[in-house]
Amino acid sequence: MSDAYVSLKNLTLAYGKTVVVPDLNLDVRKGELIALLGPSGCGKTTAMRSIAGLMAPKSGTISIDGVDITRTPANKRGIGLVFQSYALFPHLSVFENVAFGLRLKKLPKAKIASMVEQGLQTVGLAHLSDRKPEDMSGGQQQRLSLARSLVMEPKVLLLDEPLSNLDARLRLEMRNELQRLQRDTGITMIFVTHDQAEALALADRIVLMKDGIVEQLGTPDELYNAPNSKFAADFFGFENIFEIEGSEIVGRTGRLTVLIDAKEGYLAWRPSAITIGSGPHQGTISSMAFAGELREYIIEAPLGQIKVTTPSSTPPFDIGSPIAFDLAIDKARHLSKNGEET
Amino acid sequence: MYSKWTTRLIIGLTLTFLIGPFFIIILAGLSDGEFMTFPPDGISLRWYAKVFTVESFRDSFKLSMFLAIFGTIAALILGVPAAYAISRYKIPYGETIKTIVAAPIIVPGIIVGLALLRYLVVPLNFTVTLALFMAHTALILPYAVRVVSSSMNNLRSDMEEAAVLLGCSRLGAFTRVVLPNIQSGVLAAFILGFVTSFNQVPVSLFLSGPGVRTLPIDMLSYMEITYDPSVAALSALLALLSVVIVFMAEKFLGFSRYV
Amino acid sequence: MFQNNREGLALALPAAIFTALFFLLPVGFLLSEAFKVDGMWSMQGYFDFAIKPLNQTVFLRTLKLGFLVALTSAIIGYACAFSIVNLEGKSRGRVFGLVVLPLMISPVARTYAWIVILGRTGIVNDAILGLGLSDTPIRILFTETAVFLGLLQLFLPLMIISLVSAMENLPKDVIPAARVLGANWLQVFTKVILPLTKDGLVMGGTLVFTGSLTAYITPAILGGSKVLMLETLLYQRVNVANDFVSAGIIATILIIMSFSANLLLKRIAKARS
Ligand SMILES: Nc1ncnc2c1ncn2[C@@H]1O[C@H](COP(=O)(O)OP(=O)(O)OP(=O)(O)O)[C@@H](O)[C@H]1O
Ligand SMILES: [Mg+2]
Repeated sequence: MSDAYVSLKNLTLAYGKTVVVPDLNLDVRKGELIALLGPSGCGKTTAMRSIAGLMAPKSGTISIDGVDITRTPANKRGIGLVFQSYALFPHLSVFENVAFGLRLKKLPKAKIASMVEQGLQTVGLAHLSDRKPEDMSGGQQQRLSLARSLVMEPKVLLLDEPLSNLDARLRLEMRNELQRLQRDTGITMIFVTHDQAEALALADRIVLMKDGIVEQLGTPDELYNAPNSKFAADFFGFENIFEIEGSEIVGRTGRLTVLIDAKEGYLAWRPSAITIGSGPHQGTISSMAFAGELREYIIEAPLGQIKVTTPSSTPPFDIGSPIAFDLAIDKARHLSKNGEET
Repeated sequence: MYSKWTTRLIIGLTLTFLIGPFFIIILAGLSDGEFMTFPPDGISLRWYAKVFTVESFRDSFKLSMFLAIFGTIAALILGVPAAYAISRYKIPYGETIKTIVAAPIIVPGIIVGLALLRYLVVPLNFTVTLALFMAHTALILPYAVRVVSSSMNNLRSDMEEAAVLLGCSRLGAFTRVVLPNIQSGVLAAFILGFVTSFNQVPVSLFLSGPGVRTLPIDMLSYMEITYDPSVAALSALLALLSVVIVFMAEKFLGFSRYV
Repeated sequence: MFQNNREGLALALPAAIFTALFFLLPVGFLLSEAFKVDGMWSMQGYFDFAIKPLNQTVFLRTLKLGFLVALTSAIIGYACAFSIVNLEGKSRGRVFGLVVLPLMISPVARTYAWIVILGRTGIVNDAILGLGLSDTPIRILFTETAVFLGLLQLFLPLMIISLVSAMENLPKDVIPAARVLGANWLQVFTKVILPLTKDGLVMGGTLVFTGSLTAYITPAILGGSKVLMLETLLYQRVNVANDFVSAGIIATILIIMSFSANLLLKRIAKARS
C-alpha cells in the first residue's frame, strides 16, 4: 500500500524462545483509527509494545512515514501509549503528570502551562489540575492518561484496552470522546480491544488477530457482514456454525440435509437468522433466556444445539415443547475451509 | 471472648519486661553516688554530664557515626541498583546473587571481624577503619536490598515505560519516577542500616586498634575498669536517641512495617 | 524494556562482588584454617576440639540456652501476639511500635540494664534481702539464668513480630467459628491457631534461636567467663591463646547451625506457598 503511514513488515516477536507473534504485516494510513481485536493472549499487547519500542522484535521492520524506526529507542520515537493500567505517576499532580513530557522537551514555562491547560481542557479535567491521580475516579484517570499522551502530539497514539477498566456507561461515554478526539486532531490511532462491539463502533478498520496471526483485516462492515473464516464468523456473532459434508451439514450429534451448492467448508447462521415456529426441521426448546429486546432460545435438534433469538415483542414458546425451525440457505454465510470466501 | 483485662495484663507484663529495664538505666544514670546502685544514691545529672567529657567516648562516637552514615550510604549505593535489578529483570544466576548478598546476615559478626583482621588488615595493609567500613557495608547491604526491594515491588514497571515514551532516558525514568516513589523505602532502609551499624558490636571486637574503637566496644572496655554510673548514663542517652529516631521514622514513614 | 537481562546483571553484580570479595572470601579463609594443623590439611583439629570437656559443655550450653530462649519466647509470644491482634487499630499500632522499639536500641544498653537489676546490689537482691528471704545477696549475675533473661529480652520482640504478622493473616472469624463449634480454648489453640500460624512460629523460632547462638554481648556481660557460650569461647580462644583452629571450628559450627535454621525456614516457607 503506497499510502501507508505506519508499516509493520514481517515482524516476529518473542519472549525469550517463545514466539508470540510469528510474522505480522500491517499498514496503517495516516489519520486512521485501527482496532486490534482478538481473544486474550493472542499477542495484541505484545504487538503494541514493539511498535512503541518497549520490546525489540526478533526480526522484521517497523517504519513510520517511510522512516525505519526498528532500532530507534522508545524515547525518540514520538509514539504515545495509553497503558491499560494508565501508568500515571502517583507522586505528581494532575498538572505535573501532563507536563512531564513537555518539561523534558525543555519548552518555555508559559508554553508548557498553556499546553497542559489545553490538554486538560480537551479531556474535561481542567478543574482538577491540582489533584493527585489516586484521588480521581477510574474514568478521570483514564482521561488523564490520554491527555498526558496527547499533549506530546505523537505521530501515532497507541491505546491498550483503554476502556476495559471502566463501567458500561462510562465506557460508552469514553468511546464517543475518543472518536471526537480522533476527528478533531486527525491523529493516527491504534487501539487494542477484545470487545467486538467496541471495535465495530470505533474503528475505521479492524485487524482481527488469533495466536499472533492476522485472521482478517477490513472495515467494520466487512468483518461484521462478511467474515471469511470460521474464527472470524464466530467472533462476530455467527454462533451456529456447521461443517459441510457432501449435501449435508454436520453438527455435534447428528447431520441434516439442506440444499447447498458448495461441496465443502462451513455454513454459519446468526441466531437472529434462524426462524422458529415454522420450517422443515424439528427440535425441542431446552432453555430460554430473556435479554431485553430479544429472547434467546437453545434448541436441541438431531443436529446438535442451535441458538436462536426472536424479538421479545413476539409471544414466547414454552420450554420443553417441540418446535419447528428453518435454516434458510439464503441467510447462511458460507465459509470455505482455508479461510477464503467463495 | 478473651477478656479485656487478660489482654491488658499480658501486654502490660510483656512491655514491662521489654522496656522496663530502660527506665531503670535512665534512673541509675541519674545517681549522685560513685557506684552503680538502684535505687540511685540521690539525684544528679553529673554522670550524664561526664559522658560528654570522656575523650574516648567522643572519639569512638565519631567513629561509630562515620561507620553508620557512610557504611549505610555505601550499602545503598550498591543495594539500590541490585534491588532494582532483582525486581525488574530475570537476572542470570539471580538466585546465587541473592544468596551471596544475603549471606552476611547468617555469618556471626565476631567471625567477620576476625576474618577481616587476618586476611585484609594484616596481609594487605588495610587500615582497621577501612576494614570496619567494608564489614559494616556488607552487613547493612542485605537489609538495604530487602527493604528497597519490597518498596520497589509495589511499584509497577509500566510507570517507567510511560516515562520513557514521554521522552525520558532510562536513567531519567529511574530518577524522576522510581526514586520519588520509593523514597520512603530508601529512607527506612537508611534508618535501619544506620541503627544496625551503630549498635553493631561483634564485628568490631577484633577490629579495633589504638584510637580506633567503636562506641559499644569502648563502653564494654570502660565497664571493665570502672563501675561508675556513666555507662548507664551513656546507655540511657543512646537508648533515647534510638527512641527519637524510631519515633520520627514511625510517624513519617510507618517504620515498623519495614523491620 | 526489561528484556535485556545482562543489563540487570550489570546492576546487581557490584553488590554481589563486593560481598563476595570483602566478606565471604576472608570468612571462607578463616573457616578453612580449622582444617589445617601445622600447615597440613587434616581433621585433627576437629577431633582435638571435640574431646575437650570445656568445649562440650559450652557447645551443649549454647544449644540448650538457644532452645530454651526460643521455647519461652514462643510461649510468651503467642499470648502477647494474640493480645495484640485483639486490640483496636490505633492502640494495636502503638503497642506494636513499642515491641519493635527495643530492637533499635543498642544491645549494650539493653544488656547493661540487667546488671543494675540482677547485680549484688541490684533491685532483685534488694527485694530478697528486704523480704528476709536470704541474709546475704545471692548470685544471679554470671549465671545461666542471667544470660537466659538477657537473651530473652533481646530476642522476644522478633518472635512477637513474626507471630503478630502470622495472626494478622488468619482468615477472619476462624476463632469464633471454632468456639461456636464447641472447641475450648486449648482446642482452639492446638487445632486452629497453631496450625495456621506455623510459618510465623518457625520464622520467629529460627530468628530467636540463631540470634541466641550468635549473640556476643549478652553472654559476655551477663555470663562472663563463668558462663561461656560459643561466641565468648571463640573470643577467649583467640584473645588468650591465639588459637585460630578452635576459632575456625566454632565459626563453622555457628555458621552451620545458623544456615540449617535458615534453610529450614526457607523450606517450610516454600512448602507452604
Ligand atoms: N513477559 C512475558 N514473558 C513471557 N510470555 C509473555 C510475556 N508477556 C506476555 N507473554 C505471552 O505472550 C502471549 C501474548 O501476550 P499479550 O499480552 O500480547 O496478549 P494480549 O493479546 O494483549 O492479551 P490480553 O487481551 O489478555 O491483554 C501470551 O500467551 C502471554 O502468555
Ligand atoms: Mg493485553
